[in-house]
Amino acid sequence: MSMYSIASQTVGSGGASSITFSSIPQNFTHLQLRFFARSTGNGAGGNMSVNYNGDGGNNYTWHNVGGDGGSAFSASIGASNTSANFGWNAGNNQTSGVFGVGIVDILDYTNTNKYKVSRSLNGIDNNGSGLTGIWSGLWLSTAAITSIYVNVNGFAQYSTVQLYGITTA
Amino acid sequence: MSIFLQPLQTVTVGSGGASSITFTSIPQGYTDLVVKTSVRSQGTNGTCVMFFNSDTTQSNYSVTRLYGNGSGSSSAAYSAPYFVYSNESNFTSNTFANGEVYIPNYTSSNYKSVISDMVNENNATLGEQFLSAGLWRNTSAITSITIQEAADAGFVQYSKFSLYGVLRQGI
Repeated sequence: MSMYSIASQTVGSGGASSITFSSIPQNFTHLQLRFFARSTGNGAGGNMSVNYNGDGGNNYTWHNVGGDGGSAFSASIGASNTSANFGWNAGNNQTSGVFGVGIVDILDYTNTNKYKVSRSLNGIDNNGSGLTGIWSGLWLSTAAITSIYVNVNGFAQYSTVQLYGITTA
Repeated sequence: MSIFLQPLQTVTVGSGGASSITFTSIPQGYTDLVVKTSVRSQGTNGTCVMFFNSDTTQSNYSVTRLYGNGSGSSSAAYSAPYFVYSNESNFTSNTFANGEVYIPNYTSSNYKSVISDMVNENNATLGEQFLSAGLWRNTSAITSITIQEAADAGFVQYSKFSLYGVLRQGI
């Protein structure tokens, strides 16, 4: 046994402005976050921004490589921003019932000798057009992660975010 | 109770670093293997090689790779086991690459296929992502895995390698 459900949040009718996992147990080695999400805002993307431990300072960056069905691309937010990013989600102006999907690994999340790096496999298909890619995110802190805040500019109903803890031998 | 991801071995690099790490005597009772890597190199070459069963002939392996670095993307193929990447020593301090290697059917009598996704983070425009499909042209069951930085620079303290066995439902 190595992978345990820590918490799961599913958005009800009326949506949710954000999702936060707090009091994350410190007895695992790695964290995995899985999301199925749609934004109440418009636009392809509804990028899932993330902050750890309530830190909203200029202590984050992210990068990605992806494809949109026609070409490949790579992007970066550059240095020292206010959040990292886990991936794209559907926007309110996209096909009804479409959600973005992602699996995020955060390794060694309690190690106080490491800045925290996330790796996300993510995509969304909007009935024939879409986005898929790999995202990396960096939090410039050696603190153990005790809470995770994610935001897609408003979560639509049925969006789900699940947090797991993974042990090692 | 979940048994689909069983921790098998973990190597955490101690003070002084390590030139390579090896998982030995890998149990043969699972269907697939997973290696999670949180790694920083002592050098400026982030590429790492992953050898199976001490087969260090790089031409026995191949890999096809999708790459991004924050401003451009590309794809390339290599005759080498470039399945793992580490943060380079000139990237933001205290930052370790985050990756996973998936090795299905590691005990089968077919050639061994590999898929990996890796990211190197850096507080700058340059940060790297790798999605790779690899092959080891050997029919032996995998009993050991060695990972080393391709230029032999070694790994820094706190680098961590976690090996898991995967059991499929119904097995």
